[in-house]
Amino acid sequence: MVKLTDILFRADDFTLGPITVELETGGYYAVFGPSGSGKSMLLEIIAGLRIPESGKVIIDNTDYTRISARKRPVGMLFQDYALFPHMTVFENIAFPLRVSGLNDQAIKITAGALAEQFFISGLLSRSISGLSGGERQRVALARALAHEPSVLLLDEPLSALDEELREEASKTLGILKKDGQTVIHVTHNRNEVTDLATRCYKMSAGKLALID
Amino acid sequence: MRARDNFNFTHTIFLLLGGVALLFIFAPLAGMFLSVNAPNLFDAATDKVVGNSIILTLIISFAATSISALFAIPLAYILARKKFPFKGVIEAIVDLPIVIPHSAAGIAILGLISRDSALGSLASSFGLNLVGSPFAIALAMAFVSIPFLINSARDGFAAVPPRLEQAAETLGASKIRTFIKISLPLAGRSVVSGLLLMFARGMSEFGAIVIVAYHPMTTPVLIFDRFNSFGLAYARPVAVIFVTVTLILFIALRIYQKKRW
Repeated sequence: MVKLTDILFRADDFTLGPITVELETGGYYAVFGPSGSGKSMLLEIIAGLRIPESGKVIIDNTDYTRISARKRPVGMLFQDYALFPHMTVFENIAFPLRVSGLNDQAIKITAGALAEQFFISGLLSRSISGLSGGERQRVALARALAHEPSVLLLDEPLSALDEELREEASKTLGILKKDGQTVIHVTHNRNEVTDLATRCYKMSAGKLALID
Repeated sequence: MRARDNFNFTHTIFLLLGGVALLFIFAPLAGMFLSVNAPNLFDAATDKVVGNSIILTLIISFAATSISALFAIPLAYILARKKFPFKGVIEAIVDLPIVIPHSAAGIAILGLISRDSALGSLASSFGLNLVGSPFAIALAMAFVSIPFLINSARDGFAAVPPRLEQAAETLGASKIRTFIKISLPLAGRSVVSGLLLMFARGMSEFGAIVIVAYHPMTTPVLIFDRFNSFGLAYARPVAVIFVTVTLILFIALRIYQKKRW
């Protein structure tokens, strides 16, 4: 469960919030709105990459407002996927597993299982530069889920893909919904989340409103 | 073939002008190599004083670069990533050794390590004289060459997308782990370039070193000494040997750097 209470954040002349919202575990939540409306900022606040001026970020009944990003039970898929270009696909997926202190054998098993789940088993030894947009998205998803986060944040996960790849990538996101993963998906394109979302919010000029 | 097709009039003019710059660098060095006397070159090549000075120069420059890196690389990262008051002043301070005369740098370092200074008197109490020591040479080399490392590394870190560091954080990595595993490898090419530049600049330093330590003689000081005492015919072979050694070393290091990064 993700609970935001009276979140307020200011950056230069932009104000986000106050935002109060409660998202149940296992839901697929969509937040759509135009560029510059504060969608990505909201995700960064939940991830701990930005600290709000006031309000609370509660995940699974624990207050994470002042806790650093690395200690939050959150996975994040960045708009450009932010894959580490100097590492192979396997090393990217293994990164959070190594950080959590798993041994080599356990890392191999976990990364292998994730690769299978996202149909990238054949890509594990490949470098990032040789991957297509859709493959990159799946690698980034596998990496974001490797440390089993309570909530997965998707920042415009389909915007970097061309039309042909979007449908395939959208199916990949469907896997998350089927698995009961709590997901917050922000996008400027409402159509891309109509089939996926259990609940839709609209973000406009830093304010969040429930649509359906 | 496409490159040749695109070679227009402007490029031809630029090539001619650039050729003059290239000739300006190459001609004096080529002249020095061509005019060296073979028996003198052989004598210099078998002269232990020359050999020892080259080894001393390489070792001290390597040590000065390695130790400076521990301080210069973190500073470069902070300059690349953080905004803070008087950042411009700090960047200007970093560039100071490039703009001041190196003899002045030598005088400044001499003030730092002479027996009258806090550091010098502390060393004296242990029976050490810092002036005229390898330590003084290392300080002089580091002082004049550290801006090359800091500036190159700073540019390298600035080119690493902050998003990648944020991604590492959301994956559970601490700041230091993110630096070691993400930022440093991705800025690696620039950092290594900076290390090479610093090493090379330190090795070739004369002005500051000659003030803080005439002895033990680094090769640039030895070249000056031979020129002053015996003339051009005896200084030139030492210069040719030193330039050859440094060229071989740097070509090898550059090839390794290109293969690795």
